[in-house]
Amino acid sequence: MKTIKVSFSVNGEKATLQVKPYETLLETLRERLDLIGSKEACGMGACGACTVNVDGVPLRSCLVLTPEVNGAAITTIEGLAKDGKLHPLQEAFMEKGAVQCGFCTSGMIMTAKALLDRNEKPTKKEVIKAMSSNICRCTGYKKIIEAVEAASSKREAV
Amino acid sequence: MILPKFDYKKAEDIASAIALYESSKGQARYLAGGTDLIPLVKLRLSTPVAIIDLKGIKQLKTISREGGHLLIGANVTLFELKNHAMVKEYFPALHESLDATSCETLQMRGTIGGNLLQNTRCLLYNKSLAWRKARGFCYKMGGETCNVVPKAKACFSNYCSANALSLLSLSAGVKIAGPKGERKIKLEKIFSGDGRNPFTLKPGEILTEIHIPLKRSRGAYEKLRVRNSIDYPLLGVAVSVSNKKGRVCVGGIGPAPLIYDLKDLEGAYIKDPAQKARQEAKPVSNTTLSPAYRKKMVDVLTQRAIKRALKEGK
Repeated sequence: MKTIKVSFSVNGEKATLQVKPYETLLETLRERLDLIGSKEACGMGACGACTVNVDGVPLRSCLVLTPEVNGAAITTIEGLAKDGKLHPLQEAFMEKGAVQCGFCTSGMIMTAKALLDRNEKPTKKEVIKAMSSNICRCTGYKKIIEAVEAASSKREAV
Repeated sequence: MILPKFDYKKAEDIASAIALYESSKGQARYLAGGTDLIPLVKLRLSTPVAIIDLKGIKQLKTISREGGHLLIGANVTLFELKNHAMVKEYFPALHESLDATSCETLQMRGTIGGNLLQNTRCLLYNKSLAWRKARGFCYKMGGETCNVVPKAKACFSNYCSANALSLLSLSAGVKIAGPKGERKIKLEKIFSGDGRNPFTLKPGEILTEIHIPLKRSRGAYEKLRVRNSIDYPLLGVAVSVSNKKGRVCVGGIGPAPLIYDLKDLEGAYIKDPAQKARQEAKPVSNTTLSPAYRKKMVDVLTQRAIKRALKEGK
């Protein structure tokens, strides 16, 4: 089958690739671009571990074909830290102990980032609603919610 | 899970999408949000030779008012529609069902057209190829039997769109474009009632637009689910009332929704559609909850939805 030429930006850097038409964005990120922060868990769009932000919208990268994101701006977990300094969300997840096994964490943080980008100061209810898009099998969610709230208040203080 | 091989084509407009479909000799599938289609392809429940991406068609992304109707393009995402001022103000049942659909991230990807045309589901159908081969193929997979109800003549897979119920309660219609031109039909006409092939759309046809009569309504949507996020409804009830007339729609049980008119809005009559729905709903053991419980809940949720619809907006 013919490959398709796709170009997009990942974490601010341009990438032009020849991909298979049936390749998912998650496969492209992990296997071609070596961005292995996004995880594959269910592979069916249910768990959210593969969440990346495409043009500011959180997306399950296991459900997206790479040709679909031609021309888009993609942010992955690897693109959050700037000049060796972690993103406030990453700091908050560490401070609040919102990470146990860590497999869901990159997806959780990308979902939280999209939430804080569209709503700077979400209520607790809004945080819970947005974060319920992702599944964590360790933490019980309480500390994740706390971490997102902490990051949102910290952002305001800056 | 790795996808099987297929070709990817992007359509610029509806005519070119249909032309692409015809050039694939009926072996293609249309792709909108992909939240239903991609898992089906991953499980080898759908094996298209080509996928035709409709997301580039601008015409399908608009919401407008025309001739007493709200026209919604099929590619409007569930999240956009949920936050649309007119949906909140005029169609509370639709607002509630959109909010209850899956989770926010998938609402931002899934489209209203795709949500209406999602395939029916069954505990023994939405499984990997290896699992299904071990069990033997059922009617819906092209086999000669039902794996849930032995010796049954029909397929009992469940139609799980919450938004179809609320749109039906609002008497919505749809516009369909295909190789033989365009047609407008009532939403209830898209259901065939056969779980194997649940829609009446012909090969190559695209649902392009949903139109809802622009009347202020009161309404509610009730969903039976085991989690409060991501999961499909195990039963759903939508009610909309305007000008002293109402419509009750029950879904998530069987391949097509059940529709009842709410003729009288006084106390005792509320029980009528609830009891009728309970009698007519035929749940089988193809979800994570027992059929007896789901049947009982038809009555409970229908009454609850009607009461809430009548109470709110008063």
